[in-house]
Amino acid sequence: MARTRGGPHRNLTRGYSDDLRLFGTPAAKIGLALMLAVLVLLPTVVHDDFWLSVLIYVGITAIGAIGLNLLTGYCGQISLGHAFFIGAGAYITARVGGDLDLPLPVWLLAAAVVGAVLGGLIGPFALRLRGNYLAIVTLGLIFIGEHIWRNFKDLTGGNSGTSVNAPVDIGVADIDQMVIAGETYSRNQGWFWLVWVLVGVVALLAKNLVRTRPGRALQAVRDRDQAAEVIGVRAGRYKIGAFVISSAVAAMAGALFGAYQRFVSPDEWNLLLSIQYIAIIIVGGLGTIFGSVLGAIFVGALPALIDRYSEYLPGVQTGVGGEGFISVFALNQAIFGLLIVLFLVLEPRGLAGIWLRIKAYFKAWPFSY
Amino acid sequence: MEHLSAEARAVERTDAPPDAVPDGQSSVDSLDETVLLDVRDVTLRFGGVTALDGVSFDVRRGELFAVIGPNGAGKTSIFNCLNGVYRPQQGTITLGDKRLVGRAPAAIAALGIARTFQNLGLFEHLTLIDNLMLGRHHLMRTGFLTGMLWWGRAKREEVRHRAAVEEIVELLELEPYRRTPAGLLPYGVAKRAELGRALAMEPTLLLLDEPVAGMNLEETEDMARYLIEVRRELDLAMILVEHDMRLVMDLADRVLALDFGVVIASGTPDEVQRDPKVIEAYLGGAA
Repeated sequence: MARTRGGPHRNLTRGYSDDLRLFGTPAAKIGLALMLAVLVLLPTVVHDDFWLSVLIYVGITAIGAIGLNLLTGYCGQISLGHAFFIGAGAYITARVGGDLDLPLPVWLLAAAVVGAVLGGLIGPFALRLRGNYLAIVTLGLIFIGEHIWRNFKDLTGGNSGTSVNAPVDIGVADIDQMVIAGETYSRNQGWFWLVWVLVGVVALLAKNLVRTRPGRALQAVRDRDQAAEVIGVRAGRYKIGAFVISSAVAAMAGALFGAYQRFVSPDEWNLLLSIQYIAIIIVGGLGTIFGSVLGAIFVGALPALIDRYSEYLPGVQTGVGGEGFISVFALNQAIFGLLIVLFLVLEPRGLAGIWLRIKAYFKAWPFSY
Repeated sequence: MEHLSAEARAVERTDAPPDAVPDGQSSVDSLDETVLLDVRDVTLRFGGVTALDGVSFDVRRGELFAVIGPNGAGKTSIFNCLNGVYRPQQGTITLGDKRLVGRAPAAIAALGIARTFQNLGLFEHLTLIDNLMLGRHHLMRTGFLTGMLWWGRAKREEVRHRAAVEEIVELLELEPYRRTPAGLLPYGVAKRAELGRALAMEPTLLLLDEPVAGMNLEETEDMARYLIEVRRELDLAMILVEHDMRLVMDLADRVLALDFGVVIASGTPDEVQRDPKVIEAYLGGAA
């Protein structure tokens, strides 16, 4: 359709800074506005604690998934140790937030710093090892971690776990019991806003990272590390950097997880949690920030839904010793496995790839290409 | 001509385009005589195999220097030594006043040596623009934290270097492919994009590893045109490894012929082309 009115085309860019805008086109701006509207309004519409808590866990998982995607999707370093860093973040919060009673920004930052340091210690292994070998080393982290979590009782409370009584307030607003304009909001409503605002902030920072010099370097290392060296990218530095940033983000997710759940135990940071994160970034789309969030929504909500509706699913045990041939837990693991295989075979670019195809279709509509 | 270069080091003419002979310069050689790269007695062994055996040559500023030789003669090994990918057991390599042997590839890149690869070294999942921007990696400063915080320094740097990259896009006529992932570029365009990424590094010495390998006549002529264009527009020396003799003879100022890691001839294209040892290496000995 020819434009009859004067003025520039809606997708016109007038300079490189226009071209570099994240939300440059009107469609992208509308999308952003819609997301913000959902963020603000959803908890006022949905009061059901079950759904709100599912969405809170999904948000926390999305933050962790962004961290893993920076490492695995963008830098190509496979890690099975993501659960270790998440656990570390949760325990740091129990001590810094719970025992020392320091405010939210402090314990969140403390978790990130500890995560970054731990990542910096593991990172150098990636200089010598790649692919399956790196996967095995990071797998070792899970077991070393489990030993620490069970025996270092001052930090973790040992086998029986520890409560996490971190204060959750930003300035004057107490997230656990928020009062805005005379209206009191529940803990879950407050946490929904907190977590999803943080998802937005982390996603934006990550997006900025991957579209600037360091992010391009990460991707160059992933695609061809020797060519990257030859054009001036110090591949080793960026591999370690990817571990540092990824585990810092993971530890922040762990911190939120612990503070929301108020109690954590060593059984939570196992290999299955790591695999769940790998499933998320494969389903969502390797090397995309948006995909990490999509994948977290898809994969993260699944266990909760199965748990809630298990009585309606044939063959699923609803309780210990109940009827059915598969427990809720086992069903979840089977579905993660199936999702990883299906997406790798059918849509390696994940949900983000499907989303891009839909966008491309409507961009060209009514033509097929 | 070979030994003249040492005395002529004092002559500094940095801004003279290679094809312009300034007044009062009686020499037929329009090249800057300053030695840019000096390779002395470089020997590289892999176990019992000697890939390079006492190779010496020098490249002057603004010169297009070609390295020829049959398969396995050691041409790419020379590049890998210059880049720091391999470390020769003996010999010295000097760029300007910097010794290169023992430096890491990334450090050598920052000193001004850029390179293209025989079998394409583009980052296939990144767009052409991102590939070219990566060429400017060593000229940029944004780190993890400033990158995450975009507004301000990181953005200004992106815009500034994007403008520089666009000049190369224009020079090499890559405009239609800006947002195409490098893995999806047609072969000839990909080769050109790789040249573009190397140029984005603002090198003083550009290593071209078979820039027209696998190309048809038309694509080869296009590439030759771009190389001539690059020489005219930018002040840099090039080392060209190539099997296409016509391209080498047309473009090169001087040629070095290698066989089994040993220098068998060097000089102007005409001299090397007529050298009996070169003919023998390519066509096989009579005995």
